[in-house]
Amino acid sequence: MEKSGIKVLVVDDEDDYRQLMVFWLQSKGYNALPASSGEAAVELVKEENPDIIFMDLRMPVMDGPKTIARIREFNADVPIIIISAYLDDSKIREATIAPGIAGVFYKGKDFSQSLILLESALRTHKRLKK
Amino acid sequence: MAEIAIVLTITILASILIAALLLYLGSSSGRSHLKGAQGGLRDAGAAAGNNQSDIQKYLQDALSEQLANLTDSSRYLNKITTAVSDVFSKELERKVSQSAQEISGKYEAIIREKSRNEEIALKKYQTVSTAKKETEAVIRSIAEGLVVVDAQGNVVMMNPAAEKLLGVTQKEKSGRPLTEGVKDEQLVSLIRPQPGESKGREIELASPQDETKKVLRASSAVIENEDGYTVGMVSVLSDITKQKELDALKSSFVANVSHELRTPLVAMDKSISLILNKDAGPLTETQEQFLSVAQRNLKRLGNLINDLLDLSKLEAGKIEIRREPLSIEIIITESVEALTGWVRAKSIGVVKNIKSGLPRVDADPGRIIQVLNNLIGNAIKFTPHNGVITIDAGLSRDGKRVEVSVKDMGEGIAKEDLPKIFDKFYQAGSERVTADISGTGIGLSIAKEIVELHGGDIWVESEKGRGAKFSFTLPVY
Repeated sequence: MEKSGIKVLVVDDEDDYRQLMVFWLQSKGYNALPASSGEAAVELVKEENPDIIFMDLRMPVMDGPKTIARIREFNADVPIIIISAYLDDSKIREATIAPGIAGVFYKGKDFSQSLILLESALRTHKRLKK
Repeated sequence: MAEIAIVLTITILASILIAALLLYLGSSSGRSHLKGAQGGLRDAGAAAGNNQSDIQKYLQDALSEQLANLTDSSRYLNKITTAVSDVFSKELERKVSQSAQEISGKYEAIIREKSRNEEIALKKYQTVSTAKKETEAVIRSIAEGLVVVDAQGNVVMMNPAAEKLLGVTQKEKSGRPLTEGVKDEQLVSLIRPQPGESKGREIELASPQDETKKVLRASSAVIENEDGYTVGMVSVLSDITKQKELDALKSSFVANVSHELRTPLVAMDKSISLILNKDAGPLTETQEQFLSVAQRNLKRLGNLINDLLDLSKLEAGKIEIRREPLSIEIIITESVEALTGWVRAKSIGVVKNIKSGLPRVDADPGRIIQVLNNLIGNAIKFTPHNGVITIDAGLSRDGKRVEVSVKDMGEGIAKEDLPKIFDKFYQAGSERVTADISGTGIGLSIAKEIVELHGGDIWVESEKGRGAKFSFTLPVY
């Protein structure tokens, strides 16, 4: 599949980080879409049907785990990669128990590492679909 | 005339004889009784004071009789008798009054002594009772609860603070076990201290008055008698509820700060990375150079924040140590490998002296690598180019610990700096810090916290100009 055909949803309430990640993914050829809240993410998943989601954990009103639960109500198989500001966040464990979590990306790490996670998640997902 | 001369001579001789006799008897009468002189003189000492004329008369009679036997002449008899007995009685009077004075003097001394002793005893009693009252007042008024129990665990005494903390009174509890009547739900938990920790145990109590929980810390000490037998226990209870609340507040603050501080740093770092990686277009060499400076300093700031958060978590006891049997050799190798780039850059030699057959240690691998990275990192920092770092590992003398040490070839640490070296934000002698050395000054504090959490010790040996040797121990698995 062409990279430009791959829709990546980036969910983060933090404008700067979200914009940077979207910019970077786009510079790598992906069709990256931003969502600034859990609610917006749910709507975008419905409308755009992304191939993969980067999901921040700590967001106001609807946090990561809640948003994931809502998405799973109507979309059981889109792979989700958790993004977290710190490795020892107690919410990571809570979130990763949910099905379809493809990995955890630490925000401090280099963006290129998120690409490794993204590509392996997409491969696994494709195999599972076949 | 010859007759008179003989009688006089005899009389004088006799009177001298008798006087001598009386003198002797008189001296012994001072101690006890004046024993009979001339057979008829009895108990004169005692009698003398009362009835001197009787004795005088008796003596006169006795002497008259004696002298009458000695001579036919009774002409001078009465005169002589009277003279002799006068001498007698005067001498006797003197002796007796002397004895009486001596006796009364001694008696007075005894009385004085006795009353002085009584006075001393009274003073001592007053001192002791004042001290006791003071001690009681101190015990009553200290803010910490104090409970004394006997060997059977029954309450002997408790101060008002303890009554208030435990919600009981001494009257109710006296002679009864402390935990009697305390409902299970009141005694929420009893946390035993970790080995090597001397904080005492923490007792969580659901207070009977209000529904809020209370957390008490009990520091107890066993009371032994002179023979070394346990006769009871004294416990000091302090209310650490507020402290616990603050701890909880602090750790949530730490978590929030952690997020708030890292978020902007991450965004800045990512932005710079995107530009430096030319994802946002081409860059001139100068632009690249300055952006690299910005990024390097951001990393430094990030490390400082991470160290600070680490330390505050360690201090709040928020860091969990996941112990497992570890080979110290593998850990040292891993740590050295992680720092290979830096070691090569400075052309430093690393010598490892690891005793073969060392037992495994009981420790958290991630945390021990953190300690070693810090110590070896410091050693690299302070060792000049082409220098050597020596890492030793061996068993402690008692065989219960593995000892690891890292020795550098740096400037060493001045004696006065040694005790402060593990303090927060302390960097020994700023001349040690050269341009490429960017320490946060809390790496050693973190290392100390980690080693102590494992139940080990950490210390440093150094002399100015002779390098420094940092050592730590870990318990054998």
